[in-house]
Amino acid sequence: MPSYAPLLLVLPLAGFAFTAAFGRRLGKAAAAVPLAAIAAVWVMAMSLAIPALTGGLGETGATMPLFTWIASGSLHFDLGLHVDALTGALLLVVTTVGALVHLYSVGYMAHDDGYWRFFAYLNLFMFSMLLLVLVDNLLVVFAAWELVGLSSYLLIGFWYTKREPGLASKKAFITNRVGDVGFALGLMGLIAVFGTLDIPTILAGIQAGALSGPAATVLAMLIFCGAVGKSAQFPLHVWLPDAMEGPTPVSALIHAATMVNAGVYLVARMSPLFAASHSAMLVVAGIGIFTAIFAASIAFTQTDIKRVLAFSTLSQLGYMFAALGVGAWIPAIFHLITHGFFKGLLFLGSGSVIHAVDGEQEMPKMGGLAKKIPVTYATMLIGTIAIAGLPPLAGFWSKDEILGEAFKSGFAWVWLVGLIVAGATAFYMFRLMGLTFWGKSRIDPAVHVHESPWTMTLPLVVLAVPTVLIGVLLGFPFGHGLLAQGLEPVFAPATAALGRSEEPWTLFGIDGLLMLASVTIAAIGTAVGFRLFSTDHDATLRSFTARLRPLYEGSRSRWYFDDLNDAVFVRFGGRFARALWWFDRRVVDGAVNGVGALASGSGRGLRQIQTGRVQNYALGIAAGLIAIALFYLVVAT
Amino acid sequence: MGGLPILSLITFAPLVGALLVALLPSQRHRLIRYTALGVSLVTLALSLVMLASLLGATATSEFSFTEQVSWIGAFGITYHLGVDGLSAALVVLTTLLSAICMLASFGPITNRVKEYFVSFLILETGMIGVFLALDLFLFYIFWEIVLVPMYLIIGIWGGVDRIYATIKFVLYTLVGSLLMLVAILATAFSHQAATGSWQGAFDLLTLRGTIGDPTLQMLAFAAFALAFAIKVPMFPFHTWLPDAHVQAPTAGSVILAGVLLKLGGYGFIRFAIPLFPYGAHIFAPLMIVLSVIAIIYGALVAIVQTDLKKLIAYSSVSHMGFVTLGIFSFNQQGVDGAILQMINHGLITGGLFLLVGVGYERTHDREIAKMGGWAARAPMYAALFGFFLFASVGLPGLSGFPGEFLVLLGAFLANPAVAGASAFVMILAAVYLLWMYQRVFTGPLSSFLEGLGDHLTDITRVEILTLAPLALLIIAFGVAPTLLSSSFTASVTTLLGAAANWVAP
Repeated sequence: MPSYAPLLLVLPLAGFAFTAAFGRRLGKAAAAVPLAAIAAVWVMAMSLAIPALTGGLGETGATMPLFTWIASGSLHFDLGLHVDALTGALLLVVTTVGALVHLYSVGYMAHDDGYWRFFAYLNLFMFSMLLLVLVDNLLVVFAAWELVGLSSYLLIGFWYTKREPGLASKKAFITNRVGDVGFALGLMGLIAVFGTLDIPTILAGIQAGALSGPAATVLAMLIFCGAVGKSAQFPLHVWLPDAMEGPTPVSALIHAATMVNAGVYLVARMSPLFAASHSAMLVVAGIGIFTAIFAASIAFTQTDIKRVLAFSTLSQLGYMFAALGVGAWIPAIFHLITHGFFKGLLFLGSGSVIHAVDGEQEMPKMGGLAKKIPVTYATMLIGTIAIAGLPPLAGFWSKDEILGEAFKSGFAWVWLVGLIVAGATAFYMFRLMGLTFWGKSRIDPAVHVHESPWTMTLPLVVLAVPTVLIGVLLGFPFGHGLLAQGLEPVFAPATAALGRSEEPWTLFGIDGLLMLASVTIAAIGTAVGFRLFSTDHDATLRSFTARLRPLYEGSRSRWYFDDLNDAVFVRFGGRFARALWWFDRRVVDGAVNGVGALASGSGRGLRQIQTGRVQNYALGIAAGLIAIALFYLVVAT
Repeated sequence: MGGLPILSLITFAPLVGALLVALLPSQRHRLIRYTALGVSLVTLALSLVMLASLLGATATSEFSFTEQVSWIGAFGITYHLGVDGLSAALVVLTTLLSAICMLASFGPITNRVKEYFVSFLILETGMIGVFLALDLFLFYIFWEIVLVPMYLIIGIWGGVDRIYATIKFVLYTLVGSLLMLVAILATAFSHQAATGSWQGAFDLLTLRGTIGDPTLQMLAFAAFALAFAIKVPMFPFHTWLPDAHVQAPTAGSVILAGVLLKLGGYGFIRFAIPLFPYGAHIFAPLMIVLSVIAIIYGALVAIVQTDLKKLIAYSSVSHMGFVTLGIFSFNQQGVDGAILQMINHGLITGGLFLLVGVGYERTHDREIAKMGGWAARAPMYAALFGFFLFASVGLPGLSGFPGEFLVLLGAFLANPAVAGASAFVMILAAVYLLWMYQRVFTGPLSSFLEGLGDHLTDITRVEILTLAPLALLIIAFGVAPTLLSSSFTASVTTLLGAAANWVAP
């Protein structure tokens, strides 16, 4: 591995430290150091990722041990770097979107008082995320996992003088911690079995059959808990929509293109562990595909432009997990990459829209923006076509591979639900486009609509390039693209454990038919969405929603999941904690004070005897004598 | 070190300083404050010299710099001091926090200044003595000395209900320590009966591994354990702590959380388990159950606290539960983690109490419901509070994490179900701390804080100076916990080896 590799971590960390310490005094210049750090990181990351993806680092990748972090007895947990094709794939997305989001933020955050703070946090996030994908020890992965959670907390709650960001950031951190409990216990289980958290050692051990079936299931499920939290899968999905309270560049970077992928990365990295348990794979596939359709059903009715994209992110992440669960490892990572680019583009585009209409996020108060902000419109349209899965844009390639492999691996139910979600995705995305860009303007006339500055539109244009091309670049020829070749050795053990064999891709056979099915359903979704929302169809829509009122309300209210959590955890949990406090004061402390009262009370009682008057004592003596005399008289006779 | 009695110097430097301060005219507040600070800094420097030469030298025996002088010869009681990696780390924690507390008391303490600093310096001698004593009688003396100045600090410079709180603190602790005294005497008598001599009857190093009577092992362990359990405090002996914390002045709370609670954990590791390993093993399941209860229960009760100090006090109950859980897991990871947790809880919770004190200086209130949006008016204060808070949540990279993780790992290796139950504190700690932070620091400015107007200043440079050393150590021990653990891990191995050999007498 090139000796500069540690700089990938050092530079953003130094950028964070510098900007946190001096940024306040630098004004608009505060962005310079973080930007420079990320630009350098991007160059270095590319010079690592490209050889990693094309086999330049060998089949198992390159490693660089650094230092021992925690040691106790015979156990030690070391920080060391490891770069293989999977890391390369993540580096590609993380640093590219990361660098563009930095640039975009120069314009987007230009008028914010916390300008310097924002860039400091962004660099902190980049450090944490790069740490997560670069290290070869699961305990360090866990540390990075928590650190990206911290960055996410800080950035969601960035506008701290408002109430909602504070609530949303807290919710995000706590919900993630629920998953992390499982993750942490899974790590301890792995230590108990393997005596280490060094990833290559563990994976080699699993291949050698060191893990029994039930143990593999338990450990895989515990690790998966962490992934469910970080990647916002059902039932821990509730934090991600609220996380949209953060500034939009953050939504693009952390809550669409990078951090939320960490769960997918973790499962992919530990693929032999999951492949060792049939039930674990089934759970991953089930949770994934359920989240995909569940989130899509909510995206239908949301009116906040960012929320639609947030639920869309949940849904697409669900796709990735479904892919992992059916053993379609490479398509899952492929979709992670394409989604990172087009969803990053869509989020940054939505930010540009919000910027244009003075901070308005409700789509019913938009409309007809296409001509007024043409660059934003054109790039978002490209992103929408890509996510809809229409060829030849990026989303088509990866989505098609997922659906195809699901079907061919015997998971027809995953395929079927996935197909429905694909249609739904196309529909709700064109609904978003329609409500925002087409039809009549419903914008407050007082707002002066304006296209964004170049620092914001340039990243959109740049991201549009991979959104169009990355699919064909990495995924063609079908079944044997560049990415598949690069990732093949990473997933070979897991694929072998599942007993899958590689079959050639056939255009005039099952693969062609499956592709036809996915393109058809995407086209239907697109057509319906376009038909309903390209011009104003309020009456049709209203009669439609009136007929399906309960479903409509359910979807709008996110199927009442937040209310359920509120009732169970906040209200019932709070009551339980209050009851415990009552117990603590009345019973535990009551006993303590009771003992005290007993002691001082009996003392006070006994004190009455000590009057100090001779007469009283004489009386006592006399009474005693009489008692003794009586005793002898009675007992003796 | 030559023949220099470095340990005695460290132990009694604060006491000499107390005499010095006592001789100063009581109106000269500035002089008194700076003298006390100077004395505590000298003590800190001495302890650092001791630590450096301890780590620099290759240890030839378990304890270094030992001093042993006959004291009450008739009963074999000696003045016996010695230091190993464990006690050295705790001594430095004590001297560091004491120096910080002196500085942090400059502003808040304006009444009976001389008496305050005299008490504080005597307290420091007592605490250091506990960590260095190797004679049971000497240990007991230092243990009780600690109570007196703390009683005064809470009782004179405390809040409204200070008398109730301080009497509760002292009586509660006395109940435990008197039983411990009985157990010490019983142990000494049994030694005399067995060997026919008082020689070494109170000496830890002599007694270790010689007490064969299972009944004595169990009873004496129970008595020691009660004294330590009250100090830690373990559930259900914890209720003195919230009262004492709420009433104590800021520096009192810092020392209470930072050092006094550690005396209990230290007592288990240094005395109770090595002397009575059989008793320890018999009681271990009970101790583990109580620890898990403390961890979860303390966190749950912390969630609903309305007073900032009480919230942190209950969080201490939860965090200290990790210490006892780790100790009674009886494996390297558990005990290593417990010691890391002791030191880091001192740094982190000490810092949190300092921060609450900083806020109290401005608002004269600690009611969470009255706060809100504080960050807008005091961004630096809010940022520092956030830093210590995330350290307390156990964020990896800061020093709270390695200890908690190793304790959980040790518990897991001993019994996965125990670790499974305890791990839920990861969620609960985030709930009580982040919820508090959200209510106090974020959102719109509350009318109460707004009403304070210009009094609501941001944190001052001196206040930052009290927090900076803690923050730097929290980062250092978070990134490289081996800096700390390498100093005591050998002592732990010795301890566990000795305890394991003595399971069944």
